Parts: sequence; structure tokens; C-alpha cells
Amino acid sequence: MPHDLNYYLATLAVYFLVYCVLTLGLNITFGMAGIFDFSYITFMAIGAYFAGVAVLPPSNQPGLQWILGLNLGFPLDLLIGAAAAGVMGLLIGLLAIRRIRSDYLAMVLVAVWTIAWSVTSNMIGLFNGQQGLIGVPQPFETQLGVNPNDYVFVFIPIAAVVLAILFTVAYCIERSPFGRALRATREDQDVAAAFGKRTVRLRLTAMTIGCLYAGVAGALTIEFLSAMSPNAWAIVETVIIFSALIVGGRGNVFGAVLGALLVRIVIIEGTGLLPTLPDHPELIGATRNILIGLLVIAVLYFRPQGVIPERRRRYFEARKPAADTSQEVAKGG
Amino acid sequence: MAEPLLSVTEVVHAYGGVQAVNGCTFEVPEGVICGLIGPNGAGKTTLVDVVAGALHLQRGTVRYAGADVGGWSPDRLARAGLIRTFQLSREFRQLTVLENLLVAATGRIDESLAGALFRRRQIAVAERALVKEARGLLEIFGLDPLRNDLAVTLSGGQKRLLELARAVMAHPRLLLLDEPMAGINPALMGLLEAHIRRLNSQGITFLMVEHNLGVVDRMCEPVVVMAEGKALAVGSMADHRASDAVVTAYLGRGRPA
Ligand SMILES: Nc1ncnc2c1ncn2[C@@H]1O[C@H](COP(=O)(O)OP(=O)(O)O)[C@@H](O)[C@H]1O
Ligand SMILES: [Mg+2]
Repeated sequence: MPHDLNYYLATLAVYFLVYCVLTLGLNITFGMAGIFDFSYITFMAIGAYFAGVAVLPPSNQPGLQWILGLNLGFPLDLLIGAAAAGVMGLLIGLLAIRRIRSDYLAMVLVAVWTIAWSVTSNMIGLFNGQQGLIGVPQPFETQLGVNPNDYVFVFIPIAAVVLAILFTVAYCIERSPFGRALRATREDQDVAAAFGKRTVRLRLTAMTIGCLYAGVAGALTIEFLSAMSPNAWAIVETVIIFSALIVGGRGNVFGAVLGALLVRIVIIEGTGLLPTLPDHPELIGATRNILIGLLVIAVLYFRPQGVIPERRRRYFEARKPAADTSQEVAKGG
Repeated sequence: MAEPLLSVTEVVHAYGGVQAVNGCTFEVPEGVICGLIGPNGAGKTTLVDVVAGALHLQRGTVRYAGADVGGWSPDRLARAGLIRTFQLSREFRQLTVLENLLVAATGRIDESLAGALFRRRQIAVAERALVKEARGLLEIFGLDPLRNDLAVTLSGGQKRLLELARAVMAHPRLLLLDEPMAGINPALMGLLEAHIRRLNSQGITFLMVEHNLGVVDRMCEPVVVMAEGKALAVGSMADHRASDAVVTAYLGRGRPA
């Protein structure tokens, strides 16, 4: 295979792995706990920026300004990015989730994105404003001394290991009593509370886990691309991640992965291959959004729970007559 | 004499200007099936909501199991064994019938995030026991063949049964039922009646809002009559039938239940 094609496919693989982290995180917040976190992409950005300023040196020139500048390396930057996103998510959750019911919460979270985006764009000293962070050194770049064109092959295993860990965590959550309690809370908060669930705590935990995932995805993004700016986290990005999850199947880790593949790779990268019309360069983006919209509508129409719906654990084994259990029934009383 | 399991004293709850519960006082001794009857709008559902912590206690006292529980959250009351059902069935729609029951077993399995990641073996053991118990209950309620179906697919009557089975799975000490017989056919009514009696004989105390006076007559003692937000009378159905005040509260409005 020609090197160019290898390089292209390897780059796609990285995008896919990182996007899986995003959909898996949203799957916990939205898919399992039912929180419409329309600020989701904000936490990807927080993860990216904090990972960036963890790696970059302190800034000292006009035009290149940012906070911190810790000169750290991988994986500390990733942990710092994730922690920053998780802490911010927890704080916003404490303010919003405790007091506001679901329908308004979605709007409040859109406002969170708006504020975060404006502040980041306009406070130059925070993360270099509209221009964003650039030239962030890549993990192991100097130690390995690889040719920049081959770096992607270094990064694939890094992203794969991170995704493997996060996929396992999400898988365990999905199949646990904790996950079941999240889903019950999603279905009906009042009833879940009437059966003893601490619903606020459950929702806060889900929101925080989702933000941690988004933060990791952001850290991986800036590590790979060496840059992050407000253009990369427009509000539509949150909508696209929601679309991916709804298409793949919310509430199911495999659905989250499939959604990342279909939306991030097939549609977004696929439309990227379309020829650009010289007079209408914006057509590619428009085609992309239309295709995503059509796909979401088609899935909601034909398969409302997504291509891979939430897993229903089935119990088949034959039972003996229930003579003994009927006695246990009211023992707690 | 032992303190009653539940005592409601001068409880008040107003929705804006509407005094739904207006100084309601009565007691539920442990071990009974206590009826709560009264015309539409008497404040029965509001009272159940206040006792269960779903509505704020504006004035008065609610004591349960020896504690002043005014201001307790619904989940705290539930963990203390005070469980309620809803006037309209509210199943967890996208969970299976069996999962609906498993969710109710709060406190009998590790539901923490740390448990999900690091104590999977202990959880699997606890889960097996819960599944066994839940399936035993489903079998009693005739729902075991539907255990793997999403709750949203059940019929109205099956949802009623699921509500009760799920409440029992929570190991309640006091079970508040809000019109459990509403909108179900007579055969199912007889079945629910038998279930409630059996659970009562196993030690669960009931406070049951019910419009069907035949059912109340057969099952409940004592019976609290509520009207206009107050407990008008407490006694047996025979007492109530002989009481002018009670008959007027019901019949005077031309609205026998
Ligand atoms: N959410 C509410 N907002 C305003 N008024 C209400 C609400 N719920 C009930 N009410 C009013 O409170 C009174 C008592 O209602 P409720 O407790 O449902 O009575 P019951 O269950 O005995 O039929 C009625 O007058 C009803 O219209
Ligand atoms: Mg009512």
C-alpha cells in the first residue's frame, strides 16, 4: 500500500478511537442517565485546553498567551485534562442538576456552552483566544524522534489503550446495579426516589463521568493535532455526538462505538472526500449535516432505539415452584 | 400501648390557594390494612404524597416507625421501609419487568460506581439472590412469563400487578396504595385483593386509598373517611354506614363512590 493511503487510514483510525471516547461518555450521561447535556463538547474543549497548557511551557510572548504552562508530558497532561473537565462538570452539575428539572436543564447547559465559548474566545490570556493553542508537543515526539509523517502510528496504540480502558469501564457500568439505577432514574426520577434511589447523586455521578470521558477525548485530540481553538468546539459538535449515539444505540456501549463509526468516519470523512465546487466550498459541510440529519430521522423512524438498542438482560433458566421464596417476600417488614 | 406505625397530626397542604389537605389527623397501627376513602378531591392523593415525602409538609406532624419524618426526602423514607404506589401506574418503561423489580431492592445490592468496577463478583452473587426472589414474586403475580419484556409493553392490568410486585420487592414495612383497583376488571380485582391480604398476613401494614367501597368493606379495618382535607371519621365500615356525617359527606354531594 502506498504510504499516503496508510497514513490516511491510520489518521481515520485515530479519529475513530477518539470519537468512541466521546460517544461512550455521552452514553453514560445521556444514554443511561437521560441528562440532555448540550454543553458536552465544552468538556472536550476543557480537557484539550488543560492538557495543552500542561504540556506547553509558560507563555511569555504577546500573541501566544495561556495560563499555567507546566512543561509536563504524557500521560500527566491527559490526567490533568480529564480531571479539569470532570471537576468543571461536577461543579456545573452541582449548580444545575440539583435545582433544575430535565427540560430546563438542557437550556441551562446550552447557556453553559455559550458562556464558556465566549469567555475562551475573548479572554486572550486564558487559552490564546480565538487563535487557540498551537504547537503543542505530541506525546513521546522528542524521545522517539519519529518522522512527523509516521507519528500517527505511534499515536494509534496510545489512543487504543486509552479507549480500551474507558470502554471496559463503560461496559462494567452498563451491566452493573449502578447502571440499572441510572436507567431507572432516566425513566422516572420520582419513582426511582420512591424506591430509595438518591437520584441527584446518581445524576451528578453520571454527568461527572461523562465529562471525564469528554475531557480525555479532548486531551487525546490536542495531543494528536497539537492544536485546539474555539472553531473546533462549536455547539453543532455536541449535536453531532448526540446524533451518533442515537443512531448507534443509546444505552449500549456497542451502539456508542457503531455510532462513532457511522457518523464520524462514514459520513463526516466520507463527505470530506467529495469534490469541492470552487464557488461553493460550504457545500461539503452542508451535505454532511443533511446526511447526519437524514440518518437520525431514518433511525428514529425505523429503529427508534438505535441500530444496537439498549441491552435487555434475559433470564431463561427454568425455575422450580416458588414455594420457598413466597415466604421470604415480606421478611423485611 | 405501642406507638402506631404511622401517625398524621394536623397535616396541612395547600396548592396555591387550594387547601387540599387541611388539618388531617389519624393513625395507622402496625399490622392493619387501613382504608382511606372519601369523595373525589377530598385530598387523599395529596395526603399520600405528603406522607411519602413527595410533597412538602407545610404544617403538622408525620411520625413513622417512632420518628418524626416531616421533611424527610422520598428516598430516605423508602429506605426506611415506607413505600408507595402511584394512582396512575408508573413503571420504568424501558426496563424489563424483572429489572423493574430488581431496581426496587435498594440497599440489598451494591449500587455504587466503585462496586460496578471493583466488586463485580460480590455483586454477581447478590444479583443471583435478587433475581431468584424477584422471579418468585413474578411467578406469584403471574408475570414471570413476561419477565424479559419491556414494562412499557404490558397491559393496564399487568402494570397494576407489576406496581404491587415491585413495591413488595422493596421489602416495605408500610405500603401506601393509591387506588390499586382503579380501572381493572373484577377477576383481577379479586387477585389483587388476595395478594394484599397475603402480604398483610406476612407482616406488611397497608394504607390503601380506594374508591370501591365493596373492596374496602371486605378488606380494611380501620377505615379513615376524608372530606375536604380532613379526616372526618375513623372506624369500621359498619360504623361509617351508621354515621350521618359520613353518609352526608359522601351522599350529600350526590357523588357516591
Ligand atoms: N397539582 C395540583 N395543583 C393544584 N391543585 C391540585 C393538585 N393536585 C390536586 N389538587 C387539588 O387538591 C384537591 C385534592 O386533590 P387530591 O389530593 O388529588 O384528592 P383525591 O385524591 O382525594 O381525589 C382537589 O381539589 C384537587 O383539585
Ligand atoms: Mg386521588
